[in-house]
Amino acid sequence: MVGSRHGGGWVRTRGRARVGAAYMTVALYTVAAPFGCVLATGLGLVWRRDPLRRAQRLQRITSSAYRLMHNWLRFWRICHFDYRDALPGLPEGAFVVVANHPTLMDITSISAALGRGFTVVKGELYRRALLRPFLEGAGHVAAADGDPLSAQRVVDEAVARLGDGHPMIVFPEGTRSFADRPRPFGRTAFEVACRAEVPVVSVGIECEPMYLSKEVTVFRPPDPTAQLRLALLAIDHPRDVGFDSRALLARVEGRYGPWLARRRLATLEARP
Amino acid sequence: MDDQYEERLKKLIVETLALEDVAPGDIVTDAPLFGEGLGLDSIDALELALAIHSEFGVRAEENDPRNREHFHSVASLANFIREKQASPATSAAAAERG
Repeated sequence: MVGSRHGGGWVRTRGRARVGAAYMTVALYTVAAPFGCVLATGLGLVWRRDPLRRAQRLQRITSSAYRLMHNWLRFWRICHFDYRDALPGLPEGAFVVVANHPTLMDITSISAALGRGFTVVKGELYRRALLRPFLEGAGHVAAADGDPLSAQRVVDEAVARLGDGHPMIVFPEGTRSFADRPRPFGRTAFEVACRAEVPVVSVGIECEPMYLSKEVTVFRPPDPTAQLRLALLAIDHPRDVGFDSRALLARVEGRYGPWLARRRLATLEARP
Repeated sequence: MDDQYEERLKKLIVETLALEDVAPGDIVTDAPLFGEGLGLDSIDALELALAIHSEFGVRAEENDPRNREHFHSVASLANFIREKQASPATSAAAAERG
């Protein structure tokens, strides 16, 4: 029935298959995730002798898991993201990656592309007994969570991790982005970059059609297949702004509004 | 009620955090300092805590469960400073700094 491939019947069948694949993915994740947690926590407890090596290994394992996940989503045509060469031209050594946050796949895509990296994790999650050895071992930092003065600890720990050579991944809006404009950026990532004297890599994330946003749940994969892309917008060194975190924030934040507007326009123009 | 602490704090916030387009008189005493209010962030809080220590001799400690409450607004910060300055330990330290 080659002729029907272009008809409404084929489109409906393809849509149902995609939704079925999404359900299968969630079922598989529900079964596999606890084992993954236990394994990662076990490794975090076992590899105690050399904290730096342990962090490198656990970050690599995390990135590999995310790569596997994106390969799976690509195979089932739920979401297409190719992490290979997704962020060409990254600086040598440690750096701070900042990005907008439109979907739930943002951390997985950046981590898959970098192959390593630590982030700031909600304190509530960080303190869970099953996760803590892994999160701590991989070099992630617990967020300040309400105590305004705990930011000092967050900054100090993040600077130390960057000193160890790990890149930091931050979503400076603090929560999922609006669809059409960025939220105000927080200053922590920029303060960390200034104190560690490492560059800030600005990454733009877009997903078209949108998937796994606040509005589009995992069980509603779009047709055609969602395309997730990362774009390296700029690399800024704190010395260019006199190590002033406010100036660095303003410079980076100022790029996202126009970039989002351009991408939105390009998307509208590309639609039939 | 003596509101000199509130006025000093507003001036301190504007000067320390180099707030553009905000005058001390624009800051509402009871309005939140963070998020939807004045829009300060956690790094601003650190800078403000240092400035308060230097200006009033009062130190806010990390991990104090009441920090969020103390740093909620100019009014709550002023009350925190009054409380601390009234406590014997702070008075003794201030006298020692002399």
